Amino acid sequence: MEQTLDLAWLVPLLPLVAAGIITFFGKLMPGKGSEIGIATVAVAWVISIGIAVHTFSNSPIDALEKAFSWSPLGGGFTLELGMLVDGLTAMMFLLVTTVSLMVQIYSREYMHGEERFTYFFAMLSLFTFSMLLLVIANNTLQALVGWELVGVCSFLLIGFYWEDKPNQDAANKAFLVTKFADVGLVVGVIVLASAMFGSTSTPFNIGQLTEASIHGDIATGTLVFGTLMIFLGAVGKSGQMPLHVWLPDAMAGPTPVSALIHAATMVTAGVFVVARLYPIYAQSLAVMNTVAIVGVITLFFAGFLALVQDDIKKVLAYSTVSQLGYMMAALGVGGYTAGIFHLFTHGFFKALLFLGSGSLIHAVHSNNMSDMGGMRRHMPHTFWTFIVGSLALAGFPLTAGFFSKDEILVSAQLWGDNSATGDFVFWLGLAAAGVTTFYMARACLLIFWGEYRGAHAHHSGQDHEAHADTVISTPHESGLQITVPLRILAVLSIVAGFIGAPFWSQDDNFEQWTATHALEETTYPFIAGGEHAIELEGEVESAGARNAASPEEVGVALRAGPLATEATEGEGPSNHVLHGPPEFHADVALYALVVFLLAVGLAWRIYGKGEPETDPTMNLGPVTKALVNKYWFDDIGYRGIVVPIRDRLATFVNWTSNEIIDGFVAGVGAQTKRIATGTYDTLDQKVIDGGVNGAAFSAAWWSDKLKRIQSGDVQRYAGALVAGVIVLVLVFAAA
Amino acid sequence: MSPMGPLILASFLFCVGVYGVIARRNAVLVLMSVELMLNAVNINLVAFQDLLYPAEADASGQVFALFIIAIAAAEVGVGLAIVLNMFRNRASVNVDDADLMRW
Repeated sequence: MEQTLDLAWLVPLLPLVAAGIITFFGKLMPGKGSEIGIATVAVAWVISIGIAVHTFSNSPIDALEKAFSWSPLGGGFTLELGMLVDGLTAMMFLLVTTVSLMVQIYSREYMHGEERFTYFFAMLSLFTFSMLLLVIANNTLQALVGWELVGVCSFLLIGFYWEDKPNQDAANKAFLVTKFADVGLVVGVIVLASAMFGSTSTPFNIGQLTEASIHGDIATGTLVFGTLMIFLGAVGKSGQMPLHVWLPDAMAGPTPVSALIHAATMVTAGVFVVARLYPIYAQSLAVMNTVAIVGVITLFFAGFLALVQDDIKKVLAYSTVSQLGYMMAALGVGGYTAGIFHLFTHGFFKALLFLGSGSLIHAVHSNNMSDMGGMRRHMPHTFWTFIVGSLALAGFPLTAGFFSKDEILVSAQLWGDNSATGDFVFWLGLAAAGVTTFYMARACLLIFWGEYRGAHAHHSGQDHEAHADTVISTPHESGLQITVPLRILAVLSIVAGFIGAPFWSQDDNFEQWTATHALEETTYPFIAGGEHAIELEGEVESAGARNAASPEEVGVALRAGPLATEATEGEGPSNHVLHGPPEFHADVALYALVVFLLAVGLAWRIYGKGEPETDPTMNLGPVTKALVNKYWFDDIGYRGIVVPIRDRLATFVNWTSNEIIDGFVAGVGAQTKRIATGTYDTLDQKVIDGGVNGAAFSAAWWSDKLKRIQSGDVQRYAGALVAGVIVLVLVFAAA
Repeated sequence: MSPMGPLILASFLFCVGVYGVIARRNAVLVLMSVELMLNAVNINLVAFQDLLYPAEADASGQVFALFIIAIAAAEVGVGLAIVLNMFRNRASVNVDDADLMRW
């Protein structure tokens, strides 16, 4: 299995090759290129499983790092193109390749007959490559390249149906909003790299960066600024408030794209980057709190927006925003393992939900839940897989979401001893779990219960996903290529939870699997008792020594550090980032279960009959108004940013450009022309030409006069000769 | 014997030659005037030989005079041929008509 790690570079490379082949030869193939995409990602998937098995069974491993170096500028500055394979990479590989494989198989049927079928598969492969390039990156610069590439693929696929203006607008909005955030990412990457200049030839290297920050070699100001700037990029990409506005609009893309890019993988890139640089984020409480607060605001408020949506994809989109908030909040409250575990499980069940909704849309030819109803009789496979996905999302016991969400709440509860943000995340997270359950129950009841209402004459704006020529009749179950991925993902939505479940042993659990030595060394310097790892080791030893001497004293000393209670259980120092294997807190599970039952009960009472007409969430006066208008984020963005920029700034810049810059340029041009003309008229025409012509004219004038001497009269010459001789004689005689 | 007599003669002849060359229009007369000048020089050579190296066997002056006579004969031959051709072409021996070499 050791060798599979060396094959890791193949995982991103294969989809890239596939993208090339599909682009150039896809249309010639029987499957129009889809078979190439599926085959390569399947190979990548097998390799990813090998890597995961090896990494997880030998955890925690030293990250395998290999890179091509290139120093075009000299001066001890080296750029790298490399791979960093550790538990986090292995987990992301597993997630990305699995979901990509499922989505591509699904798309063969879902996108069947589309005009740009081959283009679609080329883009999916290109996206898979880009995401894996980001995941495997061993330096922040390479991560940035992958990050921008997934952004481009996202833009292209959101605008896949570019014939319609709203889709173009959605693509532009997604691109511009994330690009705004990416400015922060670039600045952050450069700021952190600048702190590394001088001490290493590869300032962008993630391993060296984390190492330096663990040892406190990076100035606090630089570190805080750099990490916050990178977090800004993550906020944009991972749809955190207030930059989440692009994600619901991104549902304009085809449903498989929503599943792969805007639910399972790309939007988690922000969470991934924060997790990848977690040792750096852990250095400052302010940064941690920022991450936690942004995350908790997102997870709490985005959930409510899903309550008033009729478009099933919009419901899932806001749900995704909310779940991404959970991940971010988990990272912000020290729940590193919980955060990436939720990323992992969420990828599966949210991809399942999106693909399920795609199957429904395929059958009903409408995105709207008000056009569905009673679907459990017509589409049984879609029904039970969708229910499994919903239960996992809502955190029903023993599903994936149950384990990962409870882990986050447990982390928040533990963090509550350190910082008030822990309590915030815990209570708001618990409340949002209820909201999540409620809107998923609402969606399920509206879709699958009641009577089939049918897609009426009013088609939603996105009816291009429907084939207009089909007669409206009772919907029927989708084909195997759609239902098999659904079933596989349904199984994974349950199984994926168990790998991070709290009943694994102390030395062999999800935390160990995804940990590296670098992460194990990482400590929170702002928690009492912890400076930096190196100093800490000495302290632990001395603490251990004192422990033997007087237990009470140590107990007191440790109690000063709030998380210290764990330390007394022999788990090691309390301020370690990794605070032990996943735990099961009965109270948290109980709370979660009660909230779940309450929400389902409420939803059943309201929507049990499956009648959307009497939807109370639509009749709450100002609350509904706020939710339907998405808290006016779009309006604020439009009036506060788009309009001023378009009408004022753009006009002003245009005026500046036309009047000042163009005027300056034109003025310089006119002056230059004037000077040139003057020079031409005086210097060239008068002085130089005058000199040349004058020389010629004077030569002509003189020659006209002098030529008359040559008279041809020999006797005159003789006379002159004699006269000359006489003159000479006289001269010599006089001398 | 005083050399004055031959020298005065030579000067006279030379001046007559110069005058003839400058003033006469007839090409033949111009040639003849040139002969006068050459012969004036001959007289000078012989006179100075006798004046400067009397009673010596050396006779450089006379030898020079003989050379000049020979060359003058050749020159007159060429000159008369030119004059003859000029007369054939222009039916004139007036040197003023021979102005082809003017500007």
